[in-house]
Amino acid sequence: MPRNTTKKSQTKSLKTVKEKLKELEACSIDDKKTRDLENSRMALMNILEDVEEARKKAEEEKEKTASIVRNLSDGLIVLDDKGKISLLNPQSEKILEIPQKEMVGKKIGDFEGVERMNPLFKLFKKELKSIFRKEIFIDKELILEVSTVPMIISGTEFGTIIILHDITREKTVERMKTEFVSLAAHQLRTPLSAIKWTIKMLLEGDAGEINESQRDLIEKSYQSNERMIGLINDLLDITRIEEGRYLYNPTLDDLINVTESVVKASQDTIKKKGVKFEFKKPPKRIPRVMMDTEKIRLAIQNLLENAIRYTPSGGKVTISIKSDKNKIEFQIGDTGVGIPKEQQLKIFSKFFRGSNVTKLETEGSGLGLFIAKNIIEAHGGKIWFESEEEKGSVFHFLLPVKKELEEFLKEF
Amino acid sequence: MAKILLIEDEEIMIGLLQKKLVQSGYEVIVARNGLEGMDAMRKEKPDLVLLDIIMPKMTGFDVMEKKNEDKEIRDIPVIIISNSGQPVEIDKAKRMGVRDWLIKTEFDPQEVLEKVKKQIN
Repeated sequence: MPRNTTKKSQTKSLKTVKEKLKELEACSIDDKKTRDLENSRMALMNILEDVEEARKKAEEEKEKTASIVRNLSDGLIVLDDKGKISLLNPQSEKILEIPQKEMVGKKIGDFEGVERMNPLFKLFKKELKSIFRKEIFIDKELILEVSTVPMIISGTEFGTIIILHDITREKTVERMKTEFVSLAAHQLRTPLSAIKWTIKMLLEGDAGEINESQRDLIEKSYQSNERMIGLINDLLDITRIEEGRYLYNPTLDDLINVTESVVKASQDTIKKKGVKFEFKKPPKRIPRVMMDTEKIRLAIQNLLENAIRYTPSGGKVTISIKSDKNKIEFQIGDTGVGIPKEQQLKIFSKFFRGSNVTKLETEGSGLGLFIAKNIIEAHGGKIWFESEEEKGSVFHFLLPVKKELEEFLKEF
Repeated sequence: MAKILLIEDEEIMIGLLQKKLVQSGYEVIVARNGLEGMDAMRKEKPDLVLLDIIMPKMTGFDVMEKKNEDKEIRDIPVIIISNSGQPVEIDKAKRMGVRDWLIKTEFDPQEVLEKVKKQIN
């Protein structure tokens, strides 16, 4: 190749390469663009698909939740943060007999005078207070247990759910059970009285003289029968507590006098058991308290009987009463067997007896403290204790000093 | 001899009370339900009535109501003898003019006799 030609052609070819390169560059830019575009399109499609899928899933989930809410056997009423009803399920519609469309958007306070809404109206007219298992009567045949649950998402409360749980059946069964126990107890009293009277007449010699060993046996049956009568009476008390018709005819009375009468009636038992007894009366007179005197007497009697029963001979039982202008505190301490620590929570339960005392003797129904607790609480008071096994127990109760009868009867 | 009318449907109770009262020198007439009791009260004019509450046909409360409407027998004293003894019931009976109330499981025959004596004297 001649040198100049070579140079010329060299220059040309360089130019071509450059152009080619440019072309190539341009081309690659275009290609990259297309590829990017394609990628973006694909990504977008993926996202769209994902969104669609998510939407479907969300819809399904929503439908699932809605179906759960719809088919729940409990009534649900959902309120927004302003207290307006935003949703209620068919069960609530059925309970309240008001269609959803008439309720949504309204507040519970808007339903004044609507018969079946009345119990809820009473509960929530002022504010959406928090409630747990409150019993209400929608009508005679429908008893509900109402609870409220706040709806909280990441710390913010944005509404409340009211749950209406139908407990009519449970209540009916409970009432039937109570009625059965009550009826059975009444029926049992008839033959028990007959046994009591027959034995007593035998003991009194109405059927002729009896000798000592006969008397001994007959007395044993008399005592057993008395225990049975006591147990039946306890059961009847419990059915009355459960029926909510326990307190009767409260009057202003002096707790010291009531306590004294119980102590007087227990003198024989105290002597027989051989325990020391002291009644520390306050130096000044205490305010009189509204009470169903017979029931308070029973509560004190149950506490005293327990103290004597579970204190070994030689031990001591002490009653003391103190008061200020708002309350009266009754206290009974013993140096008895005490209540095992792990059982202390159960001590006021029906039919509960400490494991250490069941070994000790068989007497005692496990109803005394349950009855005492119900009596004290029905008076607006409270009852509690401290106890240590092998050392003894102290039971306390407080009665509020209230003048007004209405206030006293508020809970009944 | 003082005459006592026992209105009670429970045979064993009738037997026991009758025995105790007769032993103590009373004359005892027995009626086994409220209706019979009303008839016996009108016919026999007893000095005292021992009246059960839960009975077939007429309850003790029904008997008291009818008795209070009848001038002839209104003033005969009545002691209730019942298995039950709720303050509500006792109050109701006292308002109807009943003199005393005995709960069968809480009293024994001797104590009943004392209550009877108190009313008849």
